[in-house]
Amino acid sequence: MNAPEPRKHLAQSHSGELARIVRVNEEIKAIVATAFRINLMALNAIFLAKRAGNAALGFGVLSNELRRFAQDLTRHMAALREMTSGSVGSVTGVVQHQRNAAILAEAIRLSGDQVKGVRDVHRRGLARLAQQQARLRALDKKLRAAVEETQQLVELGGVLARSAKIEAAYGGGFSPALMQVSTDFAEVIAQIKRSLEVLGKERLVKD
Amino acid sequence: MKQAHCIYQNEDHRWLAIARDPGKPGFIVDTNEYLVMSGEDALLCDPGGIEIFPSVFSALSSECDPTRLSGIFASHQDPDIISSLALWLEFKPDLKCYISTLWQTFLPHFGGDESTFVPIPDPGMTIRVGGLELQAIPAHYLHSSGNFNLYDPKAKILFSGDVGAALLPADHNDLYVQDFSRHIRHAEGFHKRWMGSDRAKRDWCERVSRLEIDMMVPQHGAIYQGADVQRFIHWFSALEVGVLRG
Ligand SMILES: [Fe+2]
Ligand SMILES: [Fe+2]
Repeated sequence: MNAPEPRKHLAQSHSGELARIVRVNEEIKAIVATAFRINLMALNAIFLAKRAGNAALGFGVLSNELRRFAQDLTRHMAALREMTSGSVGSVTGVVQHQRNAAILAEAIRLSGDQVKGVRDVHRRGLARLAQQQARLRALDKKLRAAVEETQQLVELGGVLARSAKIEAAYGGGFSPALMQVSTDFAEVIAQIKRSLEVLGKERLVKD
Repeated sequence: MKQAHCIYQNEDHRWLAIARDPGKPGFIVDTNEYLVMSGEDALLCDPGGIEIFPSVFSALSSECDPTRLSGIFASHQDPDIISSLALWLEFKPDLKCYISTLWQTFLPHFGGDESTFVPIPDPGMTIRVGGLELQAIPAHYLHSSGNFNLYDPKAKILFSGDVGAALLPADHNDLYVQDFSRHIRHAEGFHKRWMGSDRAKRDWCERVSRLEIDMMVPQHGAIYQGADVQRFIHWFSALEVGVLRG
């Protein structure tokens, strides 16, 4: 015999919230990994600029800036991660409550609506749900503000990468190598931009 | 759907057995739930798992106003016993749950908070329901390490949890044991494998032999009544338990 149909439904409709958090977390992890790569690339660029000497003074300065940028980005992402892990608790509360409320509703349906105490159950349930969702909404707002702030930081990273490209042109014999490094920077930063855009569109709660 | 059967009544003192659910998914072990009512109070014994909650709730509501429910007695910590706890609390947040002191901090994983649980000490305790004084009787290691039966001296009913449990074939729907020797075959494997301690078993047999019992109502399978209660105690005392095979 199979499990009753309505229960299958429940599992599907409420798995959405947790799935959203998982997606947000995965996106953050991807950005963290990329930030780590930029940090390494910037270190390499600093050494390369040192070897190029006077021909790459400007490039060296920019590489140092890019390294600081990668470190700032890592800090931003750590803060975002903390926010999402906090939201797992809130979402779990909502999911658990919705699941219980649905099973209880099924029990009340089977028993007939005249069962005593039903109105109290609804009132308590709605109040708790509203409270949990308000908490999630506040978290969502905080997360979005933090993503926007990170987007501004990445804009700055983009400017640094473009400037590095221009500086690379004055690198004399090292110019092709410096050009390669600055192109890599630009690509990685574009990748982070895309990830942040995806992140900015994710919502912890449905509107 | 499960149905509530009245197995004892003396004025407002009643015992309901919520047993046999033909609509239950086959992958879930069949369970019995029991409700003891007296005056304005009702105590639910081993309310069961999450999956069967709607069925138990509606069977209970058909015979009793569910807001009268004042407590839950959990013989032990198993999911088929008490995983529906959060749902009962959703309906009635001030419910008290009586459970062995051993499991007091484990059960909140199913639901409830520090105000929910009333720990039962190892020697047992009295649980008041309306005008009744029910006794939590130790049945440790049968099978759970912190395990209790519930005895109603007025009705002479012993709720025995997993002791006396029989895993009956789907077409065995009798509420009461009809033929002890045929019935007990379905209990043998379960008791040999699940009950871990011979010493605890002998202890239990001795303890319950001193009680006056008209009905022994287990959490799985049919109800023992009259002479079948003593038959069960004799059978159990002679059974080798804690056996992995054979
Ligand atoms: Fe059990
Ligand atoms: Fe059981």
